[in-house]
Amino acid sequence: MKKEKLKFSSFSNSGKIAILFMILLIFMAIFSPYICPHPYNLPSGSPFESPNRVHWFGTDDLGIDLFSQICYGARISLSVGISAALIAGIGGGILGILAGYYGGIVDKLIMRIVDIMIVLPDLPMMIILGAFFGPSIKNIIFVLAFFSWTGPARIIRSKVLSMKKENYILVAESYGAGFGYLLFKHFIPEILPILMVTIIKLTSKAIVAEAGLAFLGLGDPTSKSWGLILNHAINFRGIYFTDFWKWWVMTPLIAIIFLVLSIAIISRDLEKILNEKL
Amino acid sequence: MNCIKRILEYIIVFFVIISFNFFIPRLMPGDPFTFLSSDEGSVHSSYTDEQIEKYKAYYGLDKPLWEQYKDYVYNLFRGDLGYSIYYNEAVSSIILKRVIWTIGIVVVSIVLSSLLGIFVGAFSAWHRNSAIDKIIYSIMIVFSEIPSFLIAMLLLFGLAAGKGWFPLSGGITVFGEYKNVFEKIKDIVHHGFLPVLALVLSQTGGYYLLSRNSMITVLSKDYMLTASAKGLDDRRIIFRHGLKNAILPVITRIFMNLGSVFGGAILVENVFSYPGIGRLMREAVMVRDYVLMQGIFLNICILVLTMNFLADIVCRKIDPRVE
Repeated sequence: MKKEKLKFSSFSNSGKIAILFMILLIFMAIFSPYICPHPYNLPSGSPFESPNRVHWFGTDDLGIDLFSQICYGARISLSVGISAALIAGIGGGILGILAGYYGGIVDKLIMRIVDIMIVLPDLPMMIILGAFFGPSIKNIIFVLAFFSWTGPARIIRSKVLSMKKENYILVAESYGAGFGYLLFKHFIPEILPILMVTIIKLTSKAIVAEAGLAFLGLGDPTSKSWGLILNHAINFRGIYFTDFWKWWVMTPLIAIIFLVLSIAIISRDLEKILNEKL
Repeated sequence: MNCIKRILEYIIVFFVIISFNFFIPRLMPGDPFTFLSSDEGSVHSSYTDEQIEKYKAYYGLDKPLWEQYKDYVYNLFRGDLGYSIYYNEAVSSIILKRVIWTIGIVVVSIVLSSLLGIFVGAFSAWHRNSAIDKIIYSIMIVFSEIPSFLIAMLLLFGLAAGKGWFPLSGGITVFGEYKNVFEKIKDIVHHGFLPVLALVLSQTGGYYLLSRNSMITVLSKDYMLTASAKGLDDRRIIFRHGLKNAILPVITRIFMNLGSVFGGAILVENVFSYPGIGRLMREAVMVRDYVLMQGIFLNICILVLTMNFLADIVCRKIDPRVE
């Protein structure tokens, strides 16, 4: 029952579309140098071309192809989101396991910190940190991870707590199983699916947060994520009074919205599948 | 006992924030006097050692760290947040002027979205599994997942820039003259409509789901069966017996969400150039006015903490089951 494989057909219809979209996006991000017909950092046409057969998504104020920018932006946005989510998920997961397994003072300490972190308003704090320490991709990933580990920590802790009461764990313990054995034989296999869903959700959150920071002008200026394209477009003087926004603002905007929605749909489906299995 | 523990916890959080605020400029690379005296990008100070000594004494930076910390906390409690270099004004008075705009759109959007969420949720629960419920449900899910500042941008370009129905920026017409108070209010509402709408759209979904779920739970209770067996009409069942019990988790959620609503408002304000503290924060970031940034940050934190604290109290008051 437990070892049943995750099948594509167990997703809902919207879930299937979302997965296909994500695969397409990841494919675009990885192979962007081969897909993009134009450079992402050099002009390849005249400024403000509306979408046409040469420039599929049009061009920006410098005549740079927007399709290439979206492709390369997907690289940055996805890698920032995924790495922040992985750090937060794994770090939070480890802390959650420790808190759940050892209990007592370790648990109290970790949960107190979690309580404090949850009350802190994260966006203002990220803005402050971004402003003081300078906008580099490394800082952004670190800050995002720092503010999102509490979710996984709480979820994993409660999972470990409930597992510790299960008979098979108690039996294993009575045979002398230590923390390491229990961890690799029982905890991790059980926790991994939950952690995976949490990390997927965190990825979307991190991508949005990065877009928000970049939109405020706190993104890494050397790596053009989707948020930075938006920031660029919005700061263009005539953007409200011309039709340029129809492709310049809308393409990154719709890209982010689609990404967020498909991650939401996928994680919802995954949760459903997980719950059915249990 | 429990209450005292909670208060203690909030005091600890408060001091964590204050200390964070105190240490972050001191952990920053570089030092203020090099920055003040050198040209852009250069690391060589043109001040003599004596000058630096003098300035350090003037700003109190020659004292040991814990004494600086003590002074800092003391000043905070007197309401002195420092002086903004860029605006040439005390930070607290700048913030006071701007914060009202933010509180305005945040409060209005919370009230509207929670009411909307509660009623639509109750409606959906009453008609659960029907076609209309399914349609509303999927629309709400979609909107609850899209972050508010992206919705704000769609609205700005769709309705303000594209159609010209709403002003592009600001909270009130600059140099506007009004015949009476109502016109002024109309102008403010006109400007605030889109920012509020963006926040409402992104929040309503959450309240809707919560209200729908708890309403479905309540509707399956025995006393609801009794109510309909007694022959009470639907409206009475929904409002008197259903909603009254289903509303509780929504109220808790409203207060718990405040932090993220403020976060959303910061970004939304920047989309519409709305003159609240979110906008102010970006201006401070742009001109590197660190004192102002910290002041805003501290104010938002205190606001959110107070609200969370109130949420704790309110929850306990209306639901004695919360231990």
